[in-house]
Amino acid sequence: METRPQLTEEELVERAQKGDHQALSQLVINYRSRIYHLGLRLTGSEQDAEDILQEAFLIMVKKIHQFQGNSSFYTWLYRIAVNIGLRKLKSKPHKYQHVSIDDPDIEYISSVETAEWPTFDFNQINQKQFRKKLDQLVEKLPDIYRTVFILRDLHELSTEDTSNILQITPSNTKIRLMRARNFLKEELEKLVDKEGLI
Amino acid sequence: MKNSSDLYKQICEYLGCDLNSEPCKQIQDYIAECPNCEVYVDKVRKTVNLYKTIDNCDDIPEDVCNKLFISLNIDDISKSDNDSAR
Repeated sequence: METRPQLTEEELVERAQKGDHQALSQLVINYRSRIYHLGLRLTGSEQDAEDILQEAFLIMVKKIHQFQGNSSFYTWLYRIAVNIGLRKLKSKPHKYQHVSIDDPDIEYISSVETAEWPTFDFNQINQKQFRKKLDQLVEKLPDIYRTVFILRDLHELSTEDTSNILQITPSNTKIRLMRARNFLKEELEKLVDKEGLI
Repeated sequence: MKNSSDLYKQICEYLGCDLNSEPCKQIQDYIAECPNCEVYVDKVRKTVNLYKTIDNCDDIPEDVCNKLFISLNIDDISKSDNDSAR
């Protein structure tokens, strides 16, 4: 059986730009899960995630010859997928009312942050129910914060790549991430206090 | 025991800020008198780690994959590899 050589991403992109379907297929395989889960996190809907996946890769196939390597390939592809996702979000009412986000209040932290959390024990938690609650908290975040949280913390993109994808400054990315993390921590704290989950 | 400089950097890292940004400067001002800041950072870290733990990007429904390749009109080479191996 003929085996394909292991190609770098640049080589795959170069071949795909010349119309090599195997290289295109490999690029799709490399990124399909991440793009699907990005869509799922952004929209909270399996159907929307599938739509985002299909549309993003259709655009990739159609426009890959225009990709000039000014950013990494995945940054380019993520930008396409995020834009489709954000457009989708704008077109429909939100499931949850978005919250207003403030900076953490340092005086508040210094006065009340006393009780430490032990390590979360998933064996003691009804995972499905708990996961649903965590998902709901993320969905409460306004889009501009949720997107940064997903890209930076869940997909582990760098601040620079996240800023490029969202076309915002690195400072803005960091501030949005700080606010998103703080909001989720506060909400998780309420959940823990209310339901004794840990 | 961490010193206040380490703790300050750690807080800024977990809050996602530049070390010179305004929120971090405020933290720096308070840090010496803030015994609870480390608890705060620990909770933010645990929150992020919790989300990372539940966010499994490995799986994607097979029918979604199949439809994707049909819409792109290209073959899924991971499947032809499996077929060849049989």
